[in-house]
Amino acid sequence: MNSVSPMTGEATPLALAVLSEIATALARLAETGEETTIDLKSLPLSPDDLARLGELLGEGEVRCDLEVAGRSEVRETGFSGVWWIRHLGLGDEVALEEIAITFVPEILHAHPDDVARAARRLAEAVTAPLADEEETPRG
Amino acid sequence: MAEFATLGERLAEHGISRRAFVKYASYLGSLMALAPEVSRSMAAELAKARRQSVIWLSFQECTGCTESITRSYSPTLEDLIFDFISLDYHETLMAASGEGIEHARKEAMAANKGKYIVAVDGSIPLKDGGIYSTSAGQSNLAILEETCKDAFAVISIGTCAAFGGIPKAKPNPTGAVSVADIIKDKPIINIPGCPPIPEAMTGTIAYLLAFGKVPELDHLGRPKAFFGDNIHDRCYRRPFYERGQFAKSFDDEGARAGWCLYEVGCKGPVTYNACATTKWNGGVSFPIQSGHGCLGCSEPDFWDKGGFYVPLSGSVGPTAKLVGGAAIAGAVAGLAAAAVARHRKSSLNKG
Repeated sequence: MNSVSPMTGEATPLALAVLSEIATALARLAETGEETTIDLKSLPLSPDDLARLGELLGEGEVRCDLEVAGRSEVRETGFSGVWWIRHLGLGDEVALEEIAITFVPEILHAHPDDVARAARRLAEAVTAPLADEEETPRG
Repeated sequence: MAEFATLGERLAEHGISRRAFVKYASYLGSLMALAPEVSRSMAAELAKARRQSVIWLSFQECTGCTESITRSYSPTLEDLIFDFISLDYHETLMAASGEGIEHARKEAMAANKGKYIVAVDGSIPLKDGGIYSTSAGQSNLAILEETCKDAFAVISIGTCAAFGGIPKAKPNPTGAVSVADIIKDKPIINIPGCPPIPEAMTGTIAYLLAFGKVPELDHLGRPKAFFGDNIHDRCYRRPFYERGQFAKSFDDEGARAGWCLYEVGCKGPVTYNACATTKWNGGVSFPIQSGHGCLGCSEPDFWDKGGFYVPLSGSVGPTAKLVGGAAIAGAVAGLAAAAVARHRKSSLNKG
């Protein structure tokens, strides 16, 4: 978060409201495995509310940078299973910001179709250099 | 690439993984306030969908709507939509011309019979046999009727196509009418605005593509996801309105302090659009944030509502009358929500 204002030690009411929603969802994930997504863009949160929420959730062990149709950032917060996801769009503006309460955010998974395609490509790559060597005269 | 490949296969050919669909669906889900499980299934459905044939017809218009929808820069989230559709005909964008391209339009119609989408910007002149706007020797009316005949759905892009817009402004010299005044037997989605917000256009097309159905519409045929809220309710200047703090002119102390623009003619309270939340140019700003009142450009007959700088309270009579007329025009969409929305709207006008 670029715009973190100095810690005042006081959480804003809206940040606390979202935090309590996250707590309920995280308890549900732990008990039943049910996932939740909270769209932060759809809530009337000020930059200050977002900064406070960020401070309350803290930093976790995982940070991922994605390059997929523009940049995205996925990071685990200080609470396992609570992920802060930011998708950037035009001009690196935040197009979507959400909290995902899940074991692994869906966007990090490799899709089976992509894996199958990659397997074919890699198999070709393994055989292709051999074919090249036979055709290309050494000099 | 095979013509019948799925979007997932097509994008994979260009090295774009399925993660792009997850990202795009989450982004649209947020814009359209879809439930998270709906955007998840949207990602899967989009990847399975075929490229959607879109035939774009331009009638009495200024090309501002095309400017708006193509207003993207480097490959980003927002313009993935152009990988999802096959824009088979668009007079401003296509390189070909003449007989060949008219033939291509008919070919696209035949190949995708019952499945293609017609996007229309501009109104249709009916006066004097429709001679005021023609292309390829055909009147706009003839082209519209011919092209919509085998369409799956029609999207009226911009206020001119949706409601007649500026060409229809008094005294309407060309006898301009909207698409819905002519086409009666196809689903019509109105995406008004002068121009419309690009996300409202692309989001609606992506929704059609993923789910094969028209999104929920309001009484004027507009997708509720983008036109469900009025500007005033979602305006960041609303607290000034509540406190009675109004700019009285564009250069007074109130205007400089960012107070409510109601008294300098803002039409926010009677205008339904996503400007206050989605904003423009990738979320940079919207007219009110730039210091000018809302013109109400996504509403029928916005040009003739008694003056852009006349406060709503000063134009209650004519506005209320016009809204009544607009509601009747919008009835083509045949929506259950109509009564409620119309009531809400009338109350606002009376209030």
